Amino acid sequence: MLELHQDKLVFSFPELHKDAVCHIDFQRTLRIPDDNREYPLPPGLGRFPLEHTEDHPSNLPSRWAEHGGVLLPMYQSEALWINFSGGYPCAIKIATGKINAVSGKQWTNDLVMKPQDYLVVPDQPWLDGYCVQKGLIRQFVAMPLGDGYTAEEQLTGKAEHGGLQIVVYPMKRVHYEEMMKGQSHRNHKDLCFSVHEMSAPSEMGLAPGGLMRQEIYEDEYGFDAWDLDASSRCFVHILNSDQWNNVTGKSIPGSPPSSVDYTEAGLPWFEYYDDKLKPLQGSTKLAGLDSVAAKTLKLGEKPMKNNEAVTPTKINSLGPNTAKVIDGKW
Amino acid sequence: MKTFGNHIRQAREALRKEDKSFSLRQVAARINVEPAYLSKIERNVFPPPSEEVILKLANELGLDGDVLLAMAGKLSSELQQVILERPKLFADLLREMKSAPDHAILRVVREVKDGNW
Repeated sequence: MLELHQDKLVFSFPELHKDAVCHIDFQRTLRIPDDNREYPLPPGLGRFPLEHTEDHPSNLPSRWAEHGGVLLPMYQSEALWINFSGGYPCAIKIATGKINAVSGKQWTNDLVMKPQDYLVVPDQPWLDGYCVQKGLIRQFVAMPLGDGYTAEEQLTGKAEHGGLQIVVYPMKRVHYEEMMKGQSHRNHKDLCFSVHEMSAPSEMGLAPGGLMRQEIYEDEYGFDAWDLDASSRCFVHILNSDQWNNVTGKSIPGSPPSSVDYTEAGLPWFEYYDDKLKPLQGSTKLAGLDSVAAKTLKLGEKPMKNNEAVTPTKINSLGPNTAKVIDGKW
Repeated sequence: MKTFGNHIRQAREALRKEDKSFSLRQVAARINVEPAYLSKIERNVFPPPSEEVILKLANELGLDGDVLLAMAGKLSSELQQVILERPKLFADLLREMKSAPDHAILRVVREVKDGNW
């Protein structure tokens, strides 16, 4: 079952176990410089608002209505990270424009063990981008679909899907109950650090931005742990922020700060490591993508604004046993 | 079953034990009614007052406005408006949920649709 509650996707499997719940929300964040330097994790600046796609049928392409799912507004070149919370282990596939963000392969609903094309929560608290190398990701950055920047267009040559696709598989009940008997397990519940014309709506996709230090962890539970008969999916359509008000009648907050402004204000960046878990090696397909900055140069466009390098001096270290950080406003 | 008058009187007198400003006279003054009128409501001599006065009383006495209105046999004008905007839908929903246990009512949820993609 999938519900939308306070801008969070709540995946639950009550027929499996009363604890089988996983929350996913999408955090606004600043765009890290796209300069091939490696950056720590940026903050969360609040959840992106989400609306049911079916609530706005007359203002959207008909195929969006067929997809179902939800709508999410992004400013062009704004960045996003995905926050996972809940204690019940789940295997989750994430794709952008139907390109898997972990393996770089085309979307399928099924879990693939080798190479692992999913992440596991609660071991994995967040996903900030495409898994390009062991310990490195390229940040999810919004770009218009059709301009050639998105991961989808670079790998398929087509601008067909856009948005984000998610499927969640819960752990089998018997595995969960066995695990609960003997082992401690982590609950990353809300381990989320927030410091704080009518023409057709512009379809947006996600493209690879700057490089960030983040590990995507191997599945420690084993492929047999996942209940492949129970799954729940969601298509997240990304709408240009200019058109959000036209489509939904609602306003959105202003665009997030630049990396330079944020860093100069002395606000913290973050590192997260779990030395008990093994990181995935990264996808060579995804590593071969041009970042937004590189693509901009190749296409002969004007260089990106607000892309100056920063040197974060305040970096907070987090780990799996870090206490919950309270949401704040920035 | 407790009457409206008894309920507000008990609530007021419980507060007055801790705080003398909850005397009949002072509460009546704060909600802009005559003390005699409030006394007659508490003693069930008069029927419950208007929605506006009931909500002021609820606020004064720390009671839930919707519950107090319901005890007075009323529905807030806000909820009436909600129902009047889609009367058939809400009437059907309420009839269907009439006998449902509390936990089922609290779990009336709206699922995110998953379509063809």
